[in-house]
Amino acid sequence: MSTVQEVRCWRCAHQHQAMLFCPACQAIQLVPPQADYFSVLGLPRHPALDEKLLARRYYELSRQLHPDLYQTGTPQEQEASLNNTALLNRAYRTLRDAVPRGQYWLELHGEQLGKENNRVPPKLAALVFAVHEQLEEASATRAAGKADEAQAELGHIREDLHAQLSQLRAELASNFSQWSENETQPGLLQALKTTLSALAYLHTLLRDVEKESEASWNV
Amino acid sequence: MERIVGIDLGTTNSLIAFIDGDAPRVIADPLTGEKLLPSIVSFLEDGSNVVGQEAKARATEHPLTTIHSVKRFMGLGMSHVSEEDRLRYRFVETQGSGDGIVRFTLLGKFLTPPEVSALILRELKARAEASLQEPIKKVVITVPAYFNDSQRPATKDAGRLAGLDVVRLVNEPTAASLAYGLDQKEEGLIAVYDLGGGTFDISLLRLHTGIFEVLATNGDTRLGGDDMDLRIAERFVFPLLPTELRQDAQILRAALQAAEQAKKALSEAEETQVVLDVPARNVRATCTLSRRELEAAVEDIVMRTLGPCRQALKDAGLEPRDIEAVVLVGGSTRMPLVRQRIGAFFGQTPLTDLNPDEVVALGAAVQADTLSGRRRDMLLLDVVPLALGIETMGGVMSRLIERNTTIPTSVKEMYTTAVDNQTAVDVHVLQGERELVQDCRSLARFKIPIEPQPAGVPRVEMTFMIDANGILNVTATDIRTGRERSVEVKPSYGLTDEEIERLLEESIDFAEDDVSKRLLIEARTEADTVLNATDKALQQNATFLLAGEDIFIRSAMQDLKRAYEGDDYNLIRDVTEKLSEATTPFAQRIMDASIQDALGHKRLSEI
Repeated sequence: MSTVQEVRCWRCAHQHQAMLFCPACQAIQLVPPQADYFSVLGLPRHPALDEKLLARRYYELSRQLHPDLYQTGTPQEQEASLNNTALLNRAYRTLRDAVPRGQYWLELHGEQLGKENNRVPPKLAALVFAVHEQLEEASATRAAGKADEAQAELGHIREDLHAQLSQLRAELASNFSQWSENETQPGLLQALKTTLSALAYLHTLLRDVEKESEASWNV
Repeated sequence: MERIVGIDLGTTNSLIAFIDGDAPRVIADPLTGEKLLPSIVSFLEDGSNVVGQEAKARATEHPLTTIHSVKRFMGLGMSHVSEEDRLRYRFVETQGSGDGIVRFTLLGKFLTPPEVSALILRELKARAEASLQEPIKKVVITVPAYFNDSQRPATKDAGRLAGLDVVRLVNEPTAASLAYGLDQKEEGLIAVYDLGGGTFDISLLRLHTGIFEVLATNGDTRLGGDDMDLRIAERFVFPLLPTELRQDAQILRAALQAAEQAKKALSEAEETQVVLDVPARNVRATCTLSRRELEAAVEDIVMRTLGPCRQALKDAGLEPRDIEAVVLVGGSTRMPLVRQRIGAFFGQTPLTDLNPDEVVALGAAVQADTLSGRRRDMLLLDVVPLALGIETMGGVMSRLIERNTTIPTSVKEMYTTAVDNQTAVDVHVLQGERELVQDCRSLARFKIPIEPQPAGVPRVEMTFMIDANGILNVTATDIRTGRERSVEVKPSYGLTDEEIERLLEESIDFAEDDVSKRLLIEARTEADTVLNATDKALQQNATFLLAGEDIFIRSAMQDLKRAYEGDDYNLIRDVTEKLSEATTPFAQRIMDASIQDALGHKRLSEI
């Protein structure tokens, strides 16, 4: 697990624990590139996070780090501001939604989605086939000039998928809450992988539905 | 604190604004009182040019030497130019591939869109300098939110060519939201609908505690009032003319102007006369046009803006009813039809409190105030409008940065080689939402040099950083050596740094404030001072010289006099420095003696 790292201030050489601003001279500091997204946002390293607190931290830090505030600063300050803000933005984008946060949590534990995950769970495979069949039907309806009917059919598929989506998201939240801070739990990790991969399939299906839906709009 | 002003470099009109006390204000032409500068440049036979109203007045008579709507061509290649465009402008047709940056040909000169835009910027700069009575150097320039990464650097280049330091590019709808937020202390979700002369943007923002966070943006950089003018001309004016005149540049220009006038009049009146009058060609035609006819003719153009609105809402995960205020920006939003359709789409009456022509420039001035360090209560969090990626095997675009990602943002990508002893890796950067390379916009190509090694051994990490201007910067780090090198990016449809330098050097009125000339004058002045002082000391204080020191100093003086004749200011500075060093011990002795002298006198007086 990560240990707090000591760094030296680029301006006054004061040694500090990778703070955003030097405790001695207040100069903006470059966040070490290996800092994890939780620490960048000053949050406990845990997947079940307080989303309101996350947003608040993000805005507070943006107000301190954004390049707009260093336009008249030195080149070092500008570089630190640019790099830190880019990292902050990436961290926030990753953590604010449970799905990319889950994927990032996998990465932090040395795992990745879709690498050796070639086997599609039978339940999912059945769903993919069923949805594609329904999409073809909707497409045929559209081709027959009944665009409104096609939209209605698509609406049903969408509703169905969204229901399954919320169920999977609930699974994800429950998985997150079971992690204890400083140990890797293989069972939880495997379950997380399964849920995330099911979510990825659902998102792809929803995208297909939207594509078909756009085609109907443009008739 | 150095002043930074805000510029709205529009398709039809451009404006310049500054912060007057606490409030932003548009600077009017000191002579005419006009705030809008028509974005039109007309070139004269004698090599000079006129900008703005004067250029507009010449447009009908000199259609092919007068450039309108140059913004539509910023960052484009010849392959993006339409047949319609070729009727109204003369381009340099490139050989071979037929691509490369757009170049207009005018009276034997070849000009790129950034060069033409630079002339508009110079005019605005002169206007501000005359009004504020101080030199203007630093500016914020607004760009359509949907401008891609060729169009953005092209705008920065225009600024450089005008002798300006473009400290930031700000998205137009975001700038407009600043002007609105300032006025109303808004909190909540707002939509900014910006339909100008040539471009359309929709941006959705969350405003809270002074932070203006863009949630999603979308648009079309070739959709605006110009398209409506063309439609009116085609539908109502051309039928009045014999067919052979419809392809005539002069008649076309006059028809477009007549159409624009009628369109504007119909925002107020229910009916107007379209008047086409070209006395030089003995052409005159009129017809009556009602608002209803106009609306029927341009309805599809207005409806084309709704697709991007839907997409932006979807990207932000919002429904139209979630939006708490709709702000209208751009001259085209004066049309009752636009107001009606947008009102219906969002289910509310749009806000029109601020002048839609001025609001972007006012917002640019507000952002300029923040960047100059004077204001710290507002912060913009903007996004990249289009996905950015690289070409991979099989002509597929691999996305690295998704659209609507908050900027600045960066992403790292590892590269290696596929063949033994490969000496470089080719990288092709693309922007766009489509999956195939051919459907995306090519931004740049570059080579990363690699030391020859077996395939797969080299490890080069590329960092793609999109800065706060929405502009891409690339660096490459060799993982083995840890050595970082900047990558020379060759823009697909832009000017290279060398081209800009050359254009700057060529520009005649630039010679006056040429930096190197100024430095030369400064170096010579400094040399004069040191030479005179040394000469004087040698004459008056020769007794303090050590044996041989005289020759040593005089030879250093000779060196300086020789350097002085040349124009290398660095050499003059160096040699001046050497002479100062040579005379330091001598000067020290003179100084010591005079101090002794002063002390001696004092002692005498004490007796």
